[in-house]
Amino acid sequence: MTAFAELVAASNYSFLRGAAHPHEMVAEALRLGLDGIGLADRNTVAGVVRAHVALESAVKEAAAAGLPALPFRLVVGARLVFSDDTPDIIAYPATRFGWGRLTRLLTLGNLRAEKGDCELHFADLLDHHEDLLLIVLGKEQDLGVLQRLRAACDDRVWLGVTMLRQGRDRRMLARMQAVAQAANVPLLATNDALYAGPAQRPLHDVLTCILHGTTITTAGRILAANAERHLKPADEMVRLFRDCPDAVAQSRVILDRITFTLRDLSYEYPHEPIPYGWEPQDWLEHIVLEAAHQRYGETLSPKVEALLAEEFHLIRQQKYAFYFLTVHDLVRFARAQTPPILCQGRGSAANSIVCFLLGVTSVDPVQHDLLFSRFVSEERSEPPDIDVDFEHERREEVMQYVYRRYGRHRAGIAATVIHYRPRSAVREVGKVLGFTEDVTARLGSTVWGSFASKLEDRRYADAGLDPTNPAIARLKGLVEQILEFPRHLSQHVGGFVLTQDRLDETVPIHNGAMADRTFIEWDKDDIDALGLMKVDVLALGMLTCIRKSFDLMRRHGLGDHDLEVDIAADDPAVYDMLCKGDSIGVFQVESRAQINMLPRLKPRSLYDLTVQVAIVRPGPIQGEMVHPYLRRRSGIEKVDYPSPAPPHNPNELKDLLGKTFGVPLFQEQAMKLAIVAAAFTPSEANQLRRAMATFRHTGGMDGFRTKMVEGMAARGYDRDFAERCFQQIEGFGSYGFPESHALSFARLVYVSSWIKCHQPAVFACALLNAQPMGFYAPAQIVRDAREHGIAVHPVDINASDWDNSLEPDAAGVLGLRLGFRQMDGFRRAWADALVAARARGPFASVEALARRAALPQRALRLLADVDAFGSIALDRRQALWEVRRTPDAALPLFAAASARELGEEPDMALPLMSAAEQVVVDYKTLRLSLKDHPMSFLRAMLTDEGISSCARTSAVKAGSRVRTAGIVLIRQRPGNGNAIFVTIEDETGVTNVVIWARLFETVRAQVMGSRLMLIEGEVQRSPEGVVHLMANRVHDRSALLDTLGEDTAVRVPLARADEMVRPVPPRHPRDARIVPKSRDFH
Amino acid sequence: MRITAVDPRAHALGLSPGMALADARAILPDLAAHDAAPAADQDWIERIADLCERYTPMVALDEADGITLDITGCAHLLGGEDGLVADLEARLAAWSGQVRHAVAGSPDGAQALARFQTMPAASEAAALRRLDVAALRLPDETLVALRRAGLKTLGDLAGRPSAPIAARFGEETTETLARLLGDLDNRIQPRRRLPAMFFERRFAEPIARTEHVLEVIEDLATEAAAALAERHKGGRRFAVRLFRSDGQVRDLAVETGLPARDPPTLMRLFRERIDALADPLDPGFGFDMLRFVVPRIEPLAPTQLQLEGGAIGDDAMAALVDRLSTRVGRTRIRRFVARDSHIPEQGVLSIPALDAPTAPVPAWQPLDPGEPPLRPIHLFDPPQRIEVMAEVPDGPPHRFRWRRTLHDVTRFEGPERIAAEWWKRIDAAGLTRDYYRVEDTRGRRFWIFRHGLYDREKSDPDWYVHGLFA
Repeated sequence: MTAFAELVAASNYSFLRGAAHPHEMVAEALRLGLDGIGLADRNTVAGVVRAHVALESAVKEAAAAGLPALPFRLVVGARLVFSDDTPDIIAYPATRFGWGRLTRLLTLGNLRAEKGDCELHFADLLDHHEDLLLIVLGKEQDLGVLQRLRAACDDRVWLGVTMLRQGRDRRMLARMQAVAQAANVPLLATNDALYAGPAQRPLHDVLTCILHGTTITTAGRILAANAERHLKPADEMVRLFRDCPDAVAQSRVILDRITFTLRDLSYEYPHEPIPYGWEPQDWLEHIVLEAAHQRYGETLSPKVEALLAEEFHLIRQQKYAFYFLTVHDLVRFARAQTPPILCQGRGSAANSIVCFLLGVTSVDPVQHDLLFSRFVSEERSEPPDIDVDFEHERREEVMQYVYRRYGRHRAGIAATVIHYRPRSAVREVGKVLGFTEDVTARLGSTVWGSFASKLEDRRYADAGLDPTNPAIARLKGLVEQILEFPRHLSQHVGGFVLTQDRLDETVPIHNGAMADRTFIEWDKDDIDALGLMKVDVLALGMLTCIRKSFDLMRRHGLGDHDLEVDIAADDPAVYDMLCKGDSIGVFQVESRAQINMLPRLKPRSLYDLTVQVAIVRPGPIQGEMVHPYLRRRSGIEKVDYPSPAPPHNPNELKDLLGKTFGVPLFQEQAMKLAIVAAAFTPSEANQLRRAMATFRHTGGMDGFRTKMVEGMAARGYDRDFAERCFQQIEGFGSYGFPESHALSFARLVYVSSWIKCHQPAVFACALLNAQPMGFYAPAQIVRDAREHGIAVHPVDINASDWDNSLEPDAAGVLGLRLGFRQMDGFRRAWADALVAARARGPFASVEALARRAALPQRALRLLADVDAFGSIALDRRQALWEVRRTPDAALPLFAAASARELGEEPDMALPLMSAAEQVVVDYKTLRLSLKDHPMSFLRAMLTDEGISSCARTSAVKAGSRVRTAGIVLIRQRPGNGNAIFVTIEDETGVTNVVIWARLFETVRAQVMGSRLMLIEGEVQRSPEGVVHLMANRVHDRSALLDTLGEDTAVRVPLARADEMVRPVPPRHPRDARIVPKSRDFH
Repeated sequence: MRITAVDPRAHALGLSPGMALADARAILPDLAAHDAAPAADQDWIERIADLCERYTPMVALDEADGITLDITGCAHLLGGEDGLVADLEARLAAWSGQVRHAVAGSPDGAQALARFQTMPAASEAAALRRLDVAALRLPDETLVALRRAGLKTLGDLAGRPSAPIAARFGEETTETLARLLGDLDNRIQPRRRLPAMFFERRFAEPIARTEHVLEVIEDLATEAAAALAERHKGGRRFAVRLFRSDGQVRDLAVETGLPARDPPTLMRLFRERIDALADPLDPGFGFDMLRFVVPRIEPLAPTQLQLEGGAIGDDAMAALVDRLSTRVGRTRIRRFVARDSHIPEQGVLSIPALDAPTAPVPAWQPLDPGEPPLRPIHLFDPPQRIEVMAEVPDGPPHRFRWRRTLHDVTRFEGPERIAAEWWKRIDAAGLTRDYYRVEDTRGRRFWIFRHGLYDREKSDPDWYVHGLFA
């Protein structure tokens, strides 16, 4: 049998041109018994790592099944598509050197073009052709190109020919033979494959339509005439090319000449951070020991000694010294700035003493034991994973430092592959198939949680479409095929890949969407698979807030602090506050579910906070681990450890689950459980971990389920327990929350709580200045501050700065002064001009303000709108009246100077603005009011109707039936969607409302449309005193708000976390771990 | 996508124009949404405006949904303002939609009252003063500022000195207010230029028969001819506006190459025009008014026509097509256009030659120089079944029988594989065709195809001859 390898194959990384995943192409080539396959996507190598991984796992499976080694070869390269009239040329590197030439060639094209494009010229190829094998997909007129290539590259050029049944194939083949002869290059038989099998033709047609922005019925001859561009077996190729058998044989020749595989990409860490003459390990140990002595004194305790010895040993063994030094270098840079940039590491290094001493983390492992002390496992020879969070407002400085320090040729951000999600897939496929936008919008809008990766039949039924209708069934079929197809490459939020040698000789580099950013075309998984080093430089809003808090404390003489503040984390006042559920604004534990959990969990230590952070997550909730944990913790339930049947060690889980009362809560525990209790090998557990991370994309968890449940059952565990453990692992899926991350977060929970507890005014001020972040809108933060007894002062031209600020009263107690940044549409430059002019004395009139600060009309009007002229005794209405005739001071100087003095005017006798009107306008312009709550103006009327306030609702007996009305703050539909949670607010407090899904369907319009909601229901109270109102009926009373003053609608500030307004977190699921999405549960 | 209009039910459920459709859907998942059709809306309001021209030629459109009539001196014909309003309301009753109206001393006042009045008032002046400032139809920013200043009704504004108001909210505000209150004179700009000459006839009993209509037109044309002759003028364009009693309006117009006024000539043109109408002149319940208009008037100079005319230019073909189409029927004279499809019989379309192609027509696939044509000049419709001896699975035919004659294939080229258009078939299947160009022993050339891929799609595919090469 003749040997054949398909060497011109594209995958779906030739965006919208290929119609199969890389692994599908490899699998089909294997199935057809080809000698190999060459994957070459359009000006990119983005998909090759996936093909490589697919082949490696196939080889492993074959080996595991005891089959002989596969003779199959995967060769990787790229299809060069030129922007001049050069025909497409497939380039395969024969050697590691050739790979570097190819990636540099692509980098050149990428950097020359706009984002997402690659602009290549023939001359570029001639500059980079060394060690590349080139297959020209030319026509007769391309003889010149062939001859020039042949002259430059000698025997590394082929002419690719296809027999795609286009009628005159044989005639064309004969002519191409003549061309090849004239150029003295061999012919190569190929299918120019775009998909694995002919069944993928419809999908390819659809992609073609999306690419050209047309529909399937009007696309016409843009589409391929037939389904021939798929992989074909060797004997078929021999039959097709019987006029030219050598063209088939040449594929083997090319295959044999390529020695390069992706395994050859050896990796070296950057060497920068080491002084001349030092070995990396020695230098690392040196600086760590120095820091250790500084912290723990001259003599180190045996525990510290032991920890250090163990970690040094591991680092030496795995040669990770450079990695730690590189991370240390970034952190050192951030700390060295004036003012310093706060940062904190997390991930598997969170509990490493080396990281603590290097200042990467702020959790002292000597004080806080973690279950999993290993920060890097020996059996997994993967690089350690350290994510470093920086203040979100200043992260860019760190990123630019990385570029400066290592150079753009050695540093790049990892890519994120943007996939088709259900919403985008339905929209685009629907458009191609000629569905109206109405139908696709309906389908898309029913996808509530955007990360549901399968469009279940129910969704179609929800949208009033019949999934068995053939047209709908076709849409559904194609949508399912296109889901998870890559759409385009984007840059990862902050994962840097750094190399010692030129990065662009390892992977092509692209221009980012943002200026001054460059990124590589492999994503996190690819980088992991190839063992490249990645440092995550991430942004965290809470760090900004904490830094601003520290700045404010310094400025007001409240001490000089950094992240190590109260490093012991054992202040009882802080925990007392948290146990009351008083945590608005605090990192991670401020959501309603977390606030409800705090009084039940009653945290008293940093490790309790670690549990608190991790427990309100889909994993523990789906695994039904929350209530058992709480019961055992509070001593209601006996702590026992599930144990296997003899002869296994009955205490095998005690160590593992001891700290969490026998209930697995963390990702690591679930993994370890699989190893200990279900007898997974470490490598199987590792596979499980990977499957977990991606199972929402690909499925494939069922095999693990059987293995785990049966494995545990076989060892005598309760099947029900096993089942729950597995459900928990599934729940971890895309929101995996490991202990090592939770601990670092817990530290920030503690620090932010500490500030809130001891300096509530500082905390509120910093939180407002760090907006937008967190869970709540400014109105709720201000309200919380006032409930803590803080005086809050309005925006005023003679007192406010751009930022919110602190203002001591006569007794020196700090109050909060709102800043100009709280005003919608007010510009920073205006605020700066105003503050600068104020340095020469306060403003006495509107006119003085306009002239001295040179403010335009618009700025003055905004100031009057927010009632900021209180200090010169002008109320909102008077100020507005005054402002509107003040000349625009932003006009050219002479115009302003020559403006007439404003003359006397007749008295207009403007009516007074009512209090309700003032509040309504406050809400419109500031989204909050310090004067009153809109609900208080309706109170008398509501009371007449027998409607109770939120405070009264919280006070009545459990089981009472009440009617309560308030302004809607948050609506959420967490988890499985059984219930909708709504929080309403009035002048007396808030009420948490639960609406069951069945009721919701009948009152949907009211729930989704209300700004002021009236709920009739029954009050429930948990033993910890958490009150819920279980709704029986819901009414939309928004119209009442419109009676308060102005006759236009009152805008009510919804909390930032409201899911109805923003149902789609603008984040890729793979990055979800950066700030794990909090989920409510009940 | 935003909502442009809602019906009363949707409004009652809290939807309003300006809302994002997605938000509305979140509230009402089963909301029925239709694409906005501004052109159709415009057409509709124009038709109502046409109807209103029976009362006065001074008709103007007010934004997209309002019509203003200057009824000065017209109302007496219908028994005063009330009579006119009653007549108009009766006529509009048959049209879908809600109508609000107001009669006032100034056009701006009437517009504001029609749009913004919410409660009855004793007098026009009182009603106007009670209107919300929104009635000024100023930019939102100005309206918000007026309200914030506590000036919420026109009365609030009217009772105060105007100079400070103008200084703060612009001259436009005070001027608009003055126009609205009738303190400043204002007239509407009629939507149609008033015709140079027009003649009307109203009927107590609506007329329905076309012959009657033509008689009336002839009467009016005679009147017009007399008027034109008096001025030594002729018309280049003559239009008849037919007002149906149910409010519909029909227009008929004829044009002449040279100025004319001779009634028989005009009547011949009008008759032809009526005969040529695609749908006959539908009188409904009859026409109750007819207006004969001469919009274009030129001096009528009696010049001799040249018999041997101008040169026959590029338009000659088009003119020929026009004439032939008019004579033998527009669908009989046809033209081929290419269609963008791989399926051979769908690659071409014949359409009436008069119809300009609606979409840009794709070019015919160009032939490479020196290449033989891959498609035959003649296609059978439908393709004709043949019996074939051929290699499996996808080899060429050796011999075939067509119309009871056996043809031995001496030369062939192919296959050219054309797959079915899966999207047109519910089962997503469809058979692939393998086309061959073949030549038999006598040198005749055929285009034949195997219908279905052997084994993959069909166990025993049929063969067809689809065309003949010249």
